Amino acid sequence: MSEAVATTETTEVEEPVIDLALAEEVIQKYKDIPGNLMPVLQGIQDAYGYVPRITVDYVAERLNVYPSQIYGVLTFYAQFHLKPRGKFIIRVCMGTACHVLGAERIKESFYDRIGIGHAETTPDRRFTFELVACLGACGMAPLSMVNDETYGKMTVQKVDEIIKEYSSLPI
Amino acid sequence: MVTLTIDDKQVSVEKDATIYDAAKAAGVNIPILCHDKKLKPFGACRMCLVEVEQMKGRLIPACTTPVTEGMIVRSSTPPVEKARKLVLELLMLNHPLDCPVCDKGGDCELQNLAYDHKVNSNRLADEKFHHEIDYNNPLIERDQNRCVLCGKCVRICDEIVARGALTFISRGIETTIGTEFDGPLSCEFCGSCISVCPVGALLARPFKFKSRFWAMTKKKSVCGYCGTGCNVTLGVKDNKVLTTVYDENQGFHNGQLCVRGRFGYQFISSDKRLKTPLIRKNDQLVEAGWDEALALVAERLKGAGSAAAALATPRMTNEELVLLKQLMTQQVGSQNIDHSAGYGHAAVSEGLGKSLGVAASSATILDIQKSDLILAIKTDVYETHPVVGFEINMAVKNKGIKLQIISDKRGKLSRLPGANLLLNKPGSDVALLNAVAKVLLDENLAVTPATPELAAALNDFTPEKVAELTGVAADAIRDLARAYAAAEKAIILFTSGLAYPGADAQLAHAAANLAILGGKLGKEGSGILALQEKNNSQGALDVGFVPGQGGLDAQQILAGCSAGSIKTLLIAGENPVVSYPAQAQVKKALDAVEFLVVADLFLTETAQMADVVLPVCSYAEKAGTFTATDRRVQKISAAIPAVGQSKPEFQVYGELISLLGGQPAATQAEAFAQIAAYAGISYAELGEGGAFAAVKLQPVQVVPKVVTVAVDAGKFALLTGAALYHCGTMSLYGEGTVSVCGEAYVEISRNDAAKMNISEGAEVKLTSSTGTVSVKARISPRMSEGVAFAPYHFAEASINTVWSGAAVTGVTISK
Ligand code: SF4
Ligand code: SF4
Ligand code: SF4
Ligand code: FES
Ligand code: FES
Repeated sequence: MSEAVATTETTEVEEPVIDLALAEEVIQKYKDIPGNLMPVLQGIQDAYGYVPRITVDYVAERLNVYPSQIYGVLTFYAQFHLKPRGKFIIRVCMGTACHVLGAERIKESFYDRIGIGHAETTPDRRFTFELVACLGACGMAPLSMVNDETYGKMTVQKVDEIIKEYSSLPI
Repeated sequence: MVTLTIDDKQVSVEKDATIYDAAKAAGVNIPILCHDKKLKPFGACRMCLVEVEQMKGRLIPACTTPVTEGMIVRSSTPPVEKARKLVLELLMLNHPLDCPVCDKGGDCELQNLAYDHKVNSNRLADEKFHHEIDYNNPLIERDQNRCVLCGKCVRICDEIVARGALTFISRGIETTIGTEFDGPLSCEFCGSCISVCPVGALLARPFKFKSRFWAMTKKKSVCGYCGTGCNVTLGVKDNKVLTTVYDENQGFHNGQLCVRGRFGYQFISSDKRLKTPLIRKNDQLVEAGWDEALALVAERLKGAGSAAAALATPRMTNEELVLLKQLMTQQVGSQNIDHSAGYGHAAVSEGLGKSLGVAASSATILDIQKSDLILAIKTDVYETHPVVGFEINMAVKNKGIKLQIISDKRGKLSRLPGANLLLNKPGSDVALLNAVAKVLLDENLAVTPATPELAAALNDFTPEKVAELTGVAADAIRDLARAYAAAEKAIILFTSGLAYPGADAQLAHAAANLAILGGKLGKEGSGILALQEKNNSQGALDVGFVPGQGGLDAQQILAGCSAGSIKTLLIAGENPVVSYPAQAQVKKALDAVEFLVVADLFLTETAQMADVVLPVCSYAEKAGTFTATDRRVQKISAAIPAVGQSKPEFQVYGELISLLGGQPAATQAEAFAQIAAYAGISYAELGEGGAFAAVKLQPVQVVPKVVTVAVDAGKFALLTGAALYHCGTMSLYGEGTVSVCGEAYVEISRNDAAKMNISEGAEVKLTSSTGTVSVKARISPRMSEGVAFAPYHFAEASINTVWSGAAVTGVTISK
């Protein structure tokens, strides 16, 4: 079945225009492999930064699985994101060590500055904010991360610096 | 066979049986919650734990564990009882226990299990769930607070319905059952999920707060919609049908129903039912008594001879049809009787009648799951006969039976695993079937040699030639022929009826030729099965409610009305104004006829034109037999008394026969005995599930006439058909069916929609040479470019204003 699919979807407020060609590319790559649903969904997340709803319908149609089934998979694994994500993913560790050393204040400080809470994204899609469990570097507690960059011994001042630094980068 | 001991009882079972199956065979009751005999073993709830001597140290789920030789099973030891009690306590930990207002109360497996295991207190305590209740659709309430995560709804919607509307969402403690992106159910509303849900998490909204379960009487009956002949149980209270009740042991379909059967019952006790006869006086239909009405009709029919005619709906019982036929042919003296607009039954009456030597299908619905290959002509069966569709789903999904499809549009069937679809241009089915037959001959795959006439005729149908005509590649045609020939058992299915003029005698001939040449007739799991539209379509043919010697067919009768040669027309239950093609001509005929009598449940568009309207009973108020499309004859009896002053037609036509000096059969049994096709079946002995009437085959190779349908360039090829949610026009009086599909629509492809800038739900105009109609557009992945599909049920925007009965109509679509 090769059906052209409308490439815009306006149901989600923040959802950008989705070019389904990217999804098709991913599907082509795994087309003939049995059990390809997971790699296809991972590929889609890599291509768009999250799994847009319209790609779910598209994958359902192309791989002949139920949209509901895909949603089931997407919600089962924590790795999948169903909303657009920011360019910079801020993770604040709320594990025991970090908690003891003031993670709560770090969290509050980020909130004061970018105005979003756990699993939320700023409207300009610069930042996504996430609270996570132990990041495995308790020696540096309280710990935060921005994408792959680690920031140890966090302070309120460091929060300011981080926001300043990443706000100046292009998105 | 494997022999084992359960609770000291020895039992021998098949080697692929589970402990649960074996216990059942031994008469030992093991409680279950997530297990269902129709579904694959799942093993989620752990209600069915047992002890097995050979597997000491842990408890074993009976529903998933296969039996082994010499196994010793104990089903109710103290540890087992303790474990079950814990399972129940855990289940009820977050469950609201709002049984007093739950419609499932009295029919709830959690309630029953808690009762059986005396779980009257909970050692654990936790907060109750507070999920929002889903009221996003008119028919199914989803209350996840009551869900026990048995997964039956998810599994039935996948394994049997093949719709996949429901799924497990999230994991761990947060797991719920839901839909994609937590949106509204994208659903067929077959209600299968409701019926298997052990608790009140899924409920039928139309039944909410109508009655406690135990306060209803459950009356067994046969669905009055399509030709599948599903058995239903009606929930009756205060002489009203309040719901349908699920019974997993009912019928070949194990209680499965479609949206019409499950939710379309409201027409029975509808306020719109006609309560008294009506007689036209001063151009107004006014209430009248039966005596006056019948006297008037009798007077008009008396001596009318061939100036009278009757059209009957194949929803009437066999016995009613026998009496109406007797009335017309013997008392009135007219052979002008017909049904289904004439062409609606031609595939079987004329097509199979000639090709198989009997106007009936050679195969039954039960053959579908016994076959090796199913060849479905058009994919519509899952919409016209949804429960037959379920049989196909199960055959393909569970048994790996091959599915080949020849169709002018895609559909749910073509999405089944491994399904092979030959997408042909509208109106080219017969040529395509001929080409398949031609390949059978050319490649020496025919088991029965072709007659010289057929062989010669097929010369024009080489795959290459036909490829161009049908748009199907020659190799695909060859592959289909080879697959069909290679299958030991193969069954051909097609849908016929009012909306399927393309399923005509020629199509039946072409299909029958395949079966004859391929050697697929007369054995189990093989043959031809025509899926006829109405609940008694086959019965109408068996009774012979077709034009007698020299009689007029339905179309000729209407023409006769217009021309003035037919002066009295009796229409029993048909609604030609909406359901016959060419509305303008139908109306003209009914206007012209001097005297029009309509017997119906409702004041239909046709009844509104009548001189006398006779209120008659629904299937729930009468006795008699219906014959399903595969010649299964089933008996019904009244579940409720007649609504208002309505009468069963058996009585109405009996009285008319008497008024005209004849002698009607006094009982249904007597009338039934007059049906030659049912010789050997005794009315009195017909039990649940009925009996199959014999089909004696005398196959003949008939050369089909091939008419190529061409649609002018720039026009859409409009296909007519049935919508899943409806059957004929009667379902338009079933509130449930209307609540999910209440408006006329046309389906077009995404590309066409994009080209014309038409959005989903937009109002569009269909225009043909005969008229224009405004309907809503639906953008559908099923349709190919240039092809449009419109269902025919809706009076408000009746498709027969643009459709005059052709298999394919050229239309323009505009905004
Ligand atoms: S009603 Fe039928 S189609 Fe809809 S969710 Fe339930 S089982 Fe699936
Ligand atoms: S909704 Fe009903 S059938 Fe579905 S998982 Fe929950 S309890 Fe089982
Ligand atoms: S309409 Fe047909 S398929 Fe549906 S329940 Fe009735 S008989 Fe069965
Ligand atoms: S608790 Fe924060 S890194 Fe371990
Ligand atoms: S019934 Fe056996 S695990 Fe649910």
